[in-house]
Amino acid sequence: MKRSARPLGVLPWGLAFLLFGLIPIAYAFGLSFQDFNPLRPDRTSWVGFANYAAALQSPSFWKALRTTALFVLGTLPITLTLAYGVASLLSRARRAQSFFRAAIFFPATLSMVVISLVFKSLYAQEGLLNGWLAAGGLPRVPWLLDKNLALPSIMLMDVWSSVGYYAILILAGRKTLPDDQLEAARLEGLSAWEVERRIVFPHLRPVLLFVVLLNTIRAFQIFIEVFVLTRGGPLESTLTLVYHIYDRAFYHFEMGYASSLAFLLLAFVGGLLVIQRTLLGARAEAAR
Amino acid sequence: MTGGRGWNRARAGAGPGPDFVVYAALGAISLLSLAPLLYMARVSLGVGGDLPIAPSDWWGRPLSLEHYRDLWRGGPMGRFALNSLLVTGVAVPLQILFAAAAGHALARSRFLGRGMLLALATAFLILPKQVLLVPLYLLFANAGLLDSYAALLLPHLADPFGVLFMAHYYQTLSPELEEAARTDGLGPGAIFWRIVLPISGPGLAVVGVNGFLTTWNAFLHPLVLTTSESMRTLPVGLALFAQSEHRVDWGALLAGSTLATLPVVLAFLLFQRQIVEGILKGSSR
Repeated sequence: MKRSARPLGVLPWGLAFLLFGLIPIAYAFGLSFQDFNPLRPDRTSWVGFANYAAALQSPSFWKALRTTALFVLGTLPITLTLAYGVASLLSRARRAQSFFRAAIFFPATLSMVVISLVFKSLYAQEGLLNGWLAAGGLPRVPWLLDKNLALPSIMLMDVWSSVGYYAILILAGRKTLPDDQLEAARLEGLSAWEVERRIVFPHLRPVLLFVVLLNTIRAFQIFIEVFVLTRGGPLESTLTLVYHIYDRAFYHFEMGYASSLAFLLLAFVGGLLVIQRTLLGARAEAAR
Repeated sequence: MTGGRGWNRARAGAGPGPDFVVYAALGAISLLSLAPLLYMARVSLGVGGDLPIAPSDWWGRPLSLEHYRDLWRGGPMGRFALNSLLVTGVAVPLQILFAAAAGHALARSRFLGRGMLLALATAFLILPKQVLLVPLYLLFANAGLLDSYAALLLPHLADPFGVLFMAHYYQTLSPELEEAARTDGLGPGAIFWRIVLPISGPGLAVVGVNGFLTTWNAFLHPLVLTTSESMRTLPVGLALFAQSEHRVDWGALLAGSTLATLPVVLAFLLFQRQIVEGILKGSSR
């Protein structure tokens, strides 16, 4: 059969994808097995898995993973509960639903730099939060300078900026629930709570699982927040894997080592995706 | 909204609280999600760099465009905004065109490596982009293109989201019209420009507005691939400005942030539906 299109159309994007997507990945993979400093290219050498071994023995690497774990544990339960609640509230709004949806979703479209700057001003020594504390006769709190408070402060900002996004995903999931199923449940005399627990919640489980996964993947990739608010400090208490990669590559020029860190990041994210696929696949099997 | 009024009424009536509680809660949440931005705008319209502006001060303190005037006069912020506009203005039309061309080719023609390309593009979509930072830096450095508009622009063109979105869009679109045009003797080029593009509007709107958001808000590669102040984009310039050793001028900083946010607000007001559609499509993979 003759076609009305030629494969030629792929070329412009395909070329860009090759040059600025695929080749860089292969390049980075090669670099991860080299000792490479762009300031001393003459000293470049192949070192096998030494970069990976060094990463796994580096305290900073484990600190970065710890930050990620704390971040997930601290934000996920709150974000997920709030997003679920907001989505069910939205689904109950007969009037002005689109207005509320827009207002709640809007932060998801903002630049993370802008969000971080606004929160930096709120957390500042002379900022709004401390202004309120001072007005109440309380001492000012060094939100971002205290090693026990810096990470929770960033987590609070993350909850604020992501609840609306996840609420929209969950709301979209709610809307795929067949009407007759809800109608039947109501006719059986189930209470609203039971409808939610026995019909809506199971229906939403794949979406919720996706939100859990997305939040975890995002936690691995946090960078801008830390770059703007704390630069990984104080005392590496907010060091994330990506900030660590950036720091090693562009302040210490250890680009081979940084590439091995990047591939460890890739492995974590890839592993999470495989777990998600497996869980969803298992559920699909069970449903059959 | 599927299901219509009956479903809504049933759901609303079945709830534990009366409507009033639902609306009060939604109102409070909406306010909470917009408050930091209103705060940003209010400080940017203030005088001097003073913080805090507590809610009680919102009406009491004088309003002024001082910070915005300063942005255009001395500071580098005007240059940052110009760079952002330039990069976005060139990147987004190209992204749209590339997505249409490549998406159409992937949907309508069969060629060696097509399946492989689709698989790679899909995998790339979920790849942590930070993996690209070091190699992109080295590639552009070797090409002598660090700190150039090419470095700011080119990485945006590799994004496979629009291509995959449009490939799917064309797969769900019947090829009848194109077949008819072909029997009428039109070549593939003419078919693409005169038949395919004009009916691609809804899909390309999704690609365009999502491309705009990612390009306008881009931070990582513009940070790493530029070195001089005059090449910074708005997000990079703002972030580095906030890190300067001197006491931070919050008024100026939040005026710059407001400036960076205004186009996003505009895009959101005009294309909210397309933004949500893009997000839902991107998330279902």
